[in-house]
Amino acid sequence: MYIIVVGGGRVGRGLALELHRQPDHEVVVIERGAERAAELRAELGEMIVRGDGTEVALLEGVGASRCDLLIALTDNDAHNLVACQVATHHFNVPRTIARVDDPENERLFRMLGVGETISAARAVMAQIEATLPEHTVVPLLPVHGSGLQIVELHVQPGSPACGRAIRDLALPQPSLISLVIGPDGEPRIPGGDTVLREGDEVIAVTPEDAEPQLRALIATPDVEPEGEA
Amino acid sequence: MRVIVMGCGRVGSAVAGRVAASGHDVTVLDTDPYSFRRLPPGFDGQSLVGDGTRRRSLEDAGIRGAEAFLALTQGDNRNILASQIAKHIYRTPTVVTRVYDPYRAEIFGRLGLVTFSPTNVGADMACAALFGSGDAGDGRAAEG
Repeated sequence: MYIIVVGGGRVGRGLALELHRQPDHEVVVIERGAERAAELRAELGEMIVRGDGTEVALLEGVGASRCDLLIALTDNDAHNLVACQVATHHFNVPRTIARVDDPENERLFRMLGVGETISAARAVMAQIEATLPEHTVVPLLPVHGSGLQIVELHVQPGSPACGRAIRDLALPQPSLISLVIGPDGEPRIPGGDTVLREGDEVIAVTPEDAEPQLRALIATPDVEPEGEA
Repeated sequence: MRVIVMGCGRVGSAVAGRVAASGHDVTVLDTDPYSFRRLPPGFDGQSLVGDGTRRRSLEDAGIRGAEAFLALTQGDNRNILASQIAKHIYRTPTVVTRVYDPYRAEIFGRLGLVTFSPTNVGADMACAALFGSGDAGDGRAAEG
């Protein structure tokens, strides 16, 4: 497989090293900074090309039209988007992956045909949330191209949903509770009369912007209001 | 109509000035407040410090309900990203994008943006001055 990597930062370098070890792959890394490119060239040799990976002439020079996969890993969302779009629409590259710095660009990138997006911010947030003892909503997976995501929520004691049946909850539309896992680890497919209990884990599908409502309903514990209430 | 101009360089400030002078409601966005010095004297539109590739700044500038968005910064890719946000997320009816690189101007013209390349415009004018008006060579300004 012929892979073009745009951006030779730490992630780009690491990926290049990894792919380089696999004999089936031919890899080119395009790095814009002169100094960084020279540094990488000294370490990795011919596979490093200095230049702007969003420029048609340069991509043509590295044979982008026979490329199987372009991965855009610069720290700049605009560059990553344009590299993928030029690859797709000018060179007919069948598959693209873009790093996305600003999480709000993820949906746009997919709308515009970028095959996959990688958001460091989202991955880091999910990991941190999962390690916090009071973590309440963990985004698990964006559903491709739909603006929906799959999230995990922990039913909190005293939350509006605790002790009530799913049909009695005013779930934000079009959210859906897909799975309930009890404290014993036993998964159950929920129905309208499934009652949510403290300690249950809920897997739900929800539009990204309805997440706060879902959190308020299921994953917000009954906290005594502070101050002079 | 309401018009948003991203980038208050020489071109952006001149466009904002002209649009405001013809009685339209203009907001010009730039990340550097110092650039607003280029706006013509008597400019009666708004100037706002902000990044046109960020939704927050676009919304502060009034992108919802704007008739037109013009991306006129020095950065081709920034202009392309911002224009696609305006076109696809906010459904702004008219989006104009400055793209120096003629190839990228053509590609994104095919993808539905109204792009123009100052490189082509400049080359056309230089050739027209050299050969007289008429065929100025390979004009590549893309249409959307």
